[in-house]
Amino acid sequence: MWTREIDGLRLTFHLAGINNQNFLMRDEETGSYWQQITGLAVSGPLKGRQLTLVPSDELNFATWKSEQPQGSVLKDLSRYASEYERKDWDVQMKRVPVVISFPEHGMKARDLMLGIRAFGASRAFLYDQVLKEKLVQDHVGAEPVLLVVGDDNQSVRVFRDRIPGVDGAADFYRLSPPKPGALLMDASTGSEWNFQGCAVSGKAKGTCLERVQALKDYWFDWRNYNPQTTVWGKK
Amino acid sequence: MMPTSPERNRMRFLLVLFSCTLISLACVVYPIYVIRPFRAQGANELATALLLARFRSVLTMLSALAALASLLGWYWPAQPRKLPRLFASLATAFVCLLAFVARVNVYELMFHPIGQPSFLRAQQAKIDPDDKVIAVSINGEAHAYPIRTMGYHHVVNDVVGSRAIVATY
Repeated sequence: MWTREIDGLRLTFHLAGINNQNFLMRDEETGSYWQQITGLAVSGPLKGRQLTLVPSDELNFATWKSEQPQGSVLKDLSRYASEYERKDWDVQMKRVPVVISFPEHGMKARDLMLGIRAFGASRAFLYDQVLKEKLVQDHVGAEPVLLVVGDDNQSVRVFRDRIPGVDGAADFYRLSPPKPGALLMDASTGSEWNFQGCAVSGKAKGTCLERVQALKDYWFDWRNYNPQTTVWGKK
Repeated sequence: MMPTSPERNRMRFLLVLFSCTLISLACVVYPIYVIRPFRAQGANELATALLLARFRSVLTMLSALAALASLLGWYWPAQPRKLPRLFASLATAFVCLLAFVARVNVYELMFHPIGQPSFLRAQQAKIDPDDKVIAVSINGEAHAYPIRTMGYHHVVNDVVGSRAIVATY
């Protein structure tokens, strides 16, 4: 997700091609071509310009609806709805061939990853393994991060493991059984935390952990744009 | 001054036609050849393909005009016979056709753009609870883009919380 204003000019994007299975888009205002995954203009009058990333989540619809009951959902265009992805599109997609691959770290091209590029480093977390563990405490670069799986066992959010007033990284645990509105507890302040990364009880009540943007992507694509990436959860 | 011979004018036309056909074909075919799914693209060929793609509307238009002008200005007066005239016209028509084809966005033919997006309130949207959405929240306004929809349209130009964004998948 990207902003589409540069120097006060609002751009309108069109699908315009594919580059190693990541798509290209063209703005109708200048005719420049942009790479989807980097938000960088690769050809045209705006070549070299960078769109600003808009933070986003990939969530189950039910989870999103519970958090944003007043939110709006993009409507289908009914005349093309028959061409939309099937329910098992992600299973089908796994079988689609790739044109580039990077077999290092024992990874397969279409292994699903949660890629994080932050704090001066790139790290990719094996998605299925994150779902299995439900809570991952790790580092990206030198920064401690938390990967938290929601109650739906599908949605994942990433936070910086820094609680204001607490030195270093806090130790987190999943509440078992989970309480309504609280998923985690931390050992430093004894607070309970919800899936938005905000403390709902305890000493830290009212504070929220900083969100970290993660990209759910296939290994081959993540690695193509992050050649220095490290990997968590490799088999 | 001696008038230019009909034979010379026919040759001139053929030369122009050949060059224009080559240029127009390159403009149309090369970008599609390079930028297609299930093919690895190198950086240099991509840069060339995109350069051609950016200028192909103008180039193919000029090419078509040149072919047309030389057909009417050189070949037609120099060739009275019907059959050669027909072939020459068809060949010129092909160059003109390429000028139209060059304007077609084949990717948007395959994946129709959504244009101005419409939205439903969360409670009214008929999405399965376990279907995934990409969620954005800006200045208190929350939009969700179902992945099954985005996987087809790929690009949606939207405004959320007064910020103009492009949703991509």
